[in-house]
Amino acid sequence: MDHNQIFAVSAQGMSLERTRLEVATLNLANAHTLVGPDGSGYQPLSVVARSVGFGVHFNEAKMSVGVVASPRAPRQVYEPSHPNANAAGMVFYPNIDPAQEMMTVMTATRAYEANVGAMNAARAMSQKALEIGGTR
Amino acid sequence: MSAEALAAIAAIQGPATAQGAQASNASEAFSKMVSEGLSSVNQQLLASEAGLQQLASGNVENLHQLMIQMQEAKLSFDLLMQVRSRLLEAYQDVMRMQI
Repeated sequence: MDHNQIFAVSAQGMSLERTRLEVATLNLANAHTLVGPDGSGYQPLSVVARSVGFGVHFNEAKMSVGVVASPRAPRQVYEPSHPNANAAGMVFYPNIDPAQEMMTVMTATRAYEANVGAMNAARAMSQKALEIGGTR
Repeated sequence: MSAEALAAIAAIQGPATAQGAQASNASEAFSKMVSEGLSSVNQQLLASEAGLQQLASGNVENLHQLMIQMQEAKLSFDLLMQVRSRLLEAYQDVMRMQI
């Protein structure tokens, strides 16, 4: 059935939003783990998604979703009493902005809802199409 | 009867038998189409069942794939039911026909 193509496209969108949520969750969870001053330890992750084969044929639209580490200089926090503090009293954490990650969480949730809404619209359409000429 | 006349009769009968063969071919094709549709709906239902079993045993990759699969199976089944009711209506109309 041709509506299955719409389902497949929506499913790709849902997978992407799920990946974004996973990555944001992972970043948030690791926001306060220690990293070395050289950047060894947790690297903040980013989702890189591209539309591949998008063109004339609607059903050939595919998405390539990748998760890459974005190397950023670690965040320095002054905690002289910390056992891992360096000579200057600095401790290094991954450079993660919790507010930005929460924004990603919220936009991913909303975009997932939008994909579900589009899919449900396609489902409602095909169910209406099945009612054509029917008595029950 | 001359050979030409026989040939003429054969020429008349030829298309008629060909038509009969065509009709039986068409009915075969129709029954084949129906059984293929049935088996594809059954395949989808079985796939949903397998997905549900995987969900129950806790190893499902993503929930939305399963839900979409179930929706697809449901829509195919609805289509099957609509086709069935149309066929049955037509059959009953024929059976009720006054002769």
